[in-house]
Amino acid sequence: MSMVETGIPGLDELLSSNDGDGFPENTATLVYGPPKVGKSIFSYQFAYHGLDLKEPCLYITTDDGIKQLTQNMMDFGWFLQGFIDEELLYIIDSISSLSGVRVENTATYASSKINDPTDLMVKVGLGTRFVFKKSNEFRSVFDSLTTPFIFNPEPMVVRFLKTYLRRLKEAGATVLVNYTEGVASPGTERILKSIVDNVIMLDGSYITFKSSYDFMGTAKYDITDQGIVLGEGEIL
Amino acid sequence: MIVRITSGITGFDELTVPSDDLGFALGGIPENTITLLYGPVGVGKSLFCHSFTYQGLSTDEPCLYLTTDQNFSTIYHNMEDLGLSLQEYMEGNMLQVIDASNGEKMEESLTHQASSVKNPTDILVKVSRGINSISQNNPRFRGVVDSITAILESNDEMLIMRVLKSYIVRVKEAGGTAIITHTQGSADLRTEIIIKSMADNIIMVDGKTLVIESMKGLGQKKAHYEITEEGLIVGKEE
Amino acid sequence: MKKTHIPKLDDFLGGGIPEGSSVLFYADPGVECEAFGYQTLQSRLEEGDHGFIFTNVTEPSSILYEFEKFGWDLENEVKKGQAFFVDGSSYFIGVPVMGKYTIEDYSQIEEVVHKAITDVPDGVGVINNLSALIDYLDPGETVSIIKKWNKAARENKTVLLYLFTEWDYETDLIDEIKDSMDCLVNLSTIEERVIIGQGFMVTGATWTTPSSSMVLFNILRPGGVKIFIPKILVTGPYNAGKSSFVKNIAPNSVSVDKMALGQVPTTVAMDIGHMEHKGFVADVFGTPGQERFDLILDLLSKEAVGAFILVDSTDPPTFPRAKEMIKKCKAEAIPKVIVANKQDLPDSLTPDEIRKAMRIDQSIPIIPVSILNNEGIDEAIDALLEILYR
Repeated sequence: MSMVETGIPGLDELLSSNDGDGFPENTATLVYGPPKVGKSIFSYQFAYHGLDLKEPCLYITTDDGIKQLTQNMMDFGWFLQGFIDEELLYIIDSISSLSGVRVENTATYASSKINDPTDLMVKVGLGTRFVFKKSNEFRSVFDSLTTPFIFNPEPMVVRFLKTYLRRLKEAGATVLVNYTEGVASPGTERILKSIVDNVIMLDGSYITFKSSYDFMGTAKYDITDQGIVLGEGEIL
Repeated sequence: MIVRITSGITGFDELTVPSDDLGFALGGIPENTITLLYGPVGVGKSLFCHSFTYQGLSTDEPCLYLTTDQNFSTIYHNMEDLGLSLQEYMEGNMLQVIDASNGEKMEESLTHQASSVKNPTDILVKVSRGINSISQNNPRFRGVVDSITAILESNDEMLIMRVLKSYIVRVKEAGGTAIITHTQGSADLRTEIIIKSMADNIIMVDGKTLVIESMKGLGQKKAHYEITEEGLIVGKEE
Repeated sequence: MKKTHIPKLDDFLGGGIPEGSSVLFYADPGVECEAFGYQTLQSRLEEGDHGFIFTNVTEPSSILYEFEKFGWDLENEVKKGQAFFVDGSSYFIGVPVMGKYTIEDYSQIEEVVHKAITDVPDGVGVINNLSALIDYLDPGETVSIIKKWNKAARENKTVLLYLFTEWDYETDLIDEIKDSMDCLVNLSTIEERVIIGQGFMVTGATWTTPSSSMVLFNILRPGGVKIFIPKILVTGPYNAGKSSFVKNIAPNSVSVDKMALGQVPTTVAMDIGHMEHKGFVADVFGTPGQERFDLILDLLSKEAVGAFILVDSTDPPTFPRAKEMIKKCKAEAIPKVIVANKQDLPDSLTPDEIRKAMRIDQSIPIIPVSILNNEGIDEAIDALLEILYR
């Protein structure tokens, strides 16, 4: 089994094993925790590190439109334009349409509607195919489940997520999904945790990683102007 | 580099200076973000919004003000008392007001519109129009929603979350910086988590202490504050 | 019979949809299914029927924009009163409602859509989409409502088109939904680790035995649903007119020789283009004619589903070469049409003469063509499509 580097200082070392440092490749990981603990920053770092290693990324943004996403990442010094030009980054923006703005679709940017999972899945299919042609080792980020839960019934979001994970894993991707605790009902939360392979919990002070084969690690973390940085950690 | 705009609240900008080695960074509210200001009733949330608005107007930043509890006349007079006169902004389109309160409404004009908390679609339409007209000639503007609580109380909460998200997306797309006030504990726990999730910055005030629970580019900060005749005064960091 | 005018679909349906029937377009997640509902509605409106769209996933203004992108003017039909919306979306996201009927509470859906059905006797209604309804009403309720709607449709002779993305619902529920429909059209993905294509197939109809073929399709904007033919070869001896043929049927084709394959002025590699002809779209590949490229013909012709073989009608000595290329392109087994070019020249052979000279079987059409004068080309394309989609 090979590993995928997260690029988050301290995390890859914490998760190191005989197979390498980082997440197990071709798995789905749920990043969850209360609001404002750094989940989005985590996914920016994960995506950006992959791009740095020339691993393409299919980034689905639902909370922030492409303008905001680009700006948010720039605040940490992560510049996307070069990767967009190299066609390594494919963005599906399902929220900008809410402002009535019609952004032109390009080869690596597609817009969708937040309350139309059918359309979103069509765009995911096209995006997956595009990225897969570039490399069959790629990353995908779903940032985040909050806005879909606001605009769609919970069971529909779950169904969508199952299909999304299945499609992306089939294509060889390593997937990250963000979820804010408390946005969905406890029953749905349980389902979310059961359909992924690994779970990362951020609570503002500690980051805890739990994989499907019972590997667990935890560490202190901070949000700096370079992103998330881990402190001393331990394997449990 | 995170750009900040001056808040207009005494002591707040000093509190929010990031620990920057170069010493060049200024404090304030990060530009193009949404700030949730929450706390119990009567702790100065509206006063915060008044100062924020006036600071913008006096530096040529227009403001789109949605009020749900106080009618505009009350706001006007309260601000006069604070020494923040809106007189010169009543004409022109620097100040756009949507008055969704129950009180007596001002005469309607292009920049002063009436609405109702019971009609969130109408609020969203007027707010969108306001954002469009303000942002046409201004790269930046300020927005105030004081408060979201009143709207939540009169409608299905998830519908309001969708409306709020639409507002947030439009404000950010147009380059605005907005404050949304809320009385904690008055809505579903799930709704409150969603609001916190949608905001970029979260400030809690309880009458004595102001806590910046989360702010772009800043760690948590805490300070005492007072409500005075000149508005809120925030003390030194604790 | 109400024709949909979606290429091949009416044939598969035995002519069209009988009035009052219910049709379920059920799609794998990832396949665009709206176009099927919208295109059928558009076709019906063009033939004078009335219609409506019930939407619970997108606002009417977005739908009008979608139609515009397809090249259809729904806005005008709405203005004329030929078509209307049942808006089950706007209210719930806080935007102004638009449409003849609006829904502000899910309990109203059944009654309001029922009214809409009775408003368009002999017309058509599009339900976009059923997937969302299942969550808003509960599953048992959904099935009973569908049955009531279908009954009303039958009585009013209204055609009802349901758009449904088949997420992983309980199989019992899906079966119940399918059982209550008069016609089932499956829109499926074709996958090889990722989605590489999409196809439609009629899997059930109460009025006819549907054809059991699946047809690949693309959705074009503008244009709508088009049958997709993944790879058509254009081959033949040197100087028979392959490049000109490709450029004629696929105007935006690219000659790969321009991409620095050498300084030789003749076509040294492939002409690649995209052809749109009536209800079809195809990717067209023109092979090089010189013998020295024969080694790659095998590679170039992989997975071709049809072929045009160009021959110079005035040059019988090249006919053996044409037959040789058919063999090298492995085109013996695939549908093909011989395009007898240069018919404008005085000493050109007739198709019958060419057939005798080349000893070509009667089953393979030989179409007389003059690319120079732009004659016969449509007939040639029609002939190949006819064999491909008989």
